[in-house]
Amino acid sequence: MKRFFALCLFSLSAYIVQAHAHHAFAQEFSVELPVTLSGRVTKVELINPHSWIHIAVVNDEGVEVNWMIEGGSPNSLFRQGITRDTIPIGAELEVFGYQARDRSNKAVGRDISFSDGTPLFFRGTQVPDAPQ
Amino acid sequence: MSNKRLTVVTTMTAVGILMNAPLAAQNETWQMPRTSWGAPLIQGYWSNATMVPMQRPADLGSKEFYSLEELQENLRREFEDEYGETEAGTAADVHYQFDDYMMNKTADNITRNLRTSIIYAPANGRYPVLTAAAQASMADYNAWRAEHQWESAKTRSQSERCLIWDQEGPPILPLGYNSTYQFMQTEDYVIIQLEMIHDVRIIPLDGGDPAENSLPQWLGNSRGHWEGDTLVVETIGYSGRTNMPGLRGAPMSTDAKVVERFTRIDDNTIDYDFTVSDPTVWESDWSGNYPFNAIDGPMFEYACHEGNYGIVNILSGVRREELDAYEATGKIGD
Repeated sequence: MKRFFALCLFSLSAYIVQAHAHHAFAQEFSVELPVTLSGRVTKVELINPHSWIHIAVVNDEGVEVNWMIEGGSPNSLFRQGITRDTIPIGAELEVFGYQARDRSNKAVGRDISFSDGTPLFFRGTQVPDAPQ
Repeated sequence: MSNKRLTVVTTMTAVGILMNAPLAAQNETWQMPRTSWGAPLIQGYWSNATMVPMQRPADLGSKEFYSLEELQENLRREFEDEYGETEAGTAADVHYQFDDYMMNKTADNITRNLRTSIIYAPANGRYPVLTAAAQASMADYNAWRAEHQWESAKTRSQSERCLIWDQEGPPILPLGYNSTYQFMQTEDYVIIQLEMIHDVRIIPLDGGDPAENSLPQWLGNSRGHWEGDTLVVETIGYSGRTNMPGLRGAPMSTDAKVVERFTRIDDNTIDYDFTVSDPTVWESDWSGNYPFNAIDGPMFEYACHEGNYGIVNILSGVRREELDAYEATGKIGD
């Protein structure tokens, strides 16, 4: 039964958006600078206070440039068995986010998925069947 | 009803069941686990994740507990009205995907109680009135912040600078994520390690006066003792810079005193009760209560400085916007 509750709560977590974060992201990234990126993973930093995924993106001039994509604290991921190896180097990612206010190649990853549409980690978890 | 909404409502039912367990309802056959020297065993990994707010919604008056039905309705409303998807192109949308990273209050466990607020005294479940001095201090801080917060790393918040979070306490207050605590225990000490942001409280149990160690500290100086099966911890000696949630600018004063009471009430729960006395800041004392819930370890390191690129990005963004404004107007500043 405890496992059932844990699974229910895990599912529930997929629908909560809460305001706590290490800093206000609108101070770091600009709502005026939305970006959509496709890129190949070159480095994964599951570090605190926020994780960063590096991707190589081919820009409009055909030149490959590095982008850093900011995400959440990795501690809850570790607890669920996720490590930096979960995202293989070379994997193709699709990112929608907002670029840094200093116009550098950094963005907050508002939505990140693998190129086949699979969510990066836990998004979209479904409620399990109740135990009989 | 959309699939998403159906999922939320279905899950609400499960949460309601889980929360139908008031803290006082102990199993009469349960026996306190004990250390080899006979003290109640509180060592282990605990979470204080909760959906209960610090302060009670004003319209609930002195209502301290929800009924189960009220709780379910309240959670449903909270999920649908306040925790829904953000809209692309709005400032609220400038954030990473929360659920991808399990960054929410229920990622590990959830508080099993029907309280309408953590604060239960004063009877309205809200912070008491701030003293005139504290209100003036907060006003001064807000005015200073409006003028200077973008100047340098030193003018950013304590949490951005990896110094301390407002919830670290004592009293320990729920944060919303990374809610894990490791309690370690010897006959002479209790040690509480906080996941966020990896601070450690070392609490001697020698019955001594906390004033004996009078160096002011962010987390104060704590001394503890057992009263029956309850660990009572008294803390004084704050630095005068430790904030409370939502009260930056009116930090706990050097005169503050906090008494915490930890009581294990079953295999999965420690009842946590605390009282804050700080006449420099508050017109009256105030008290709160919530449970710590047992979770599986280990606790993972939160090396805040290691990857704190955010503070650099924030300041470089401000400098860039200042440069853009200068190039557009030929003026520096307002």
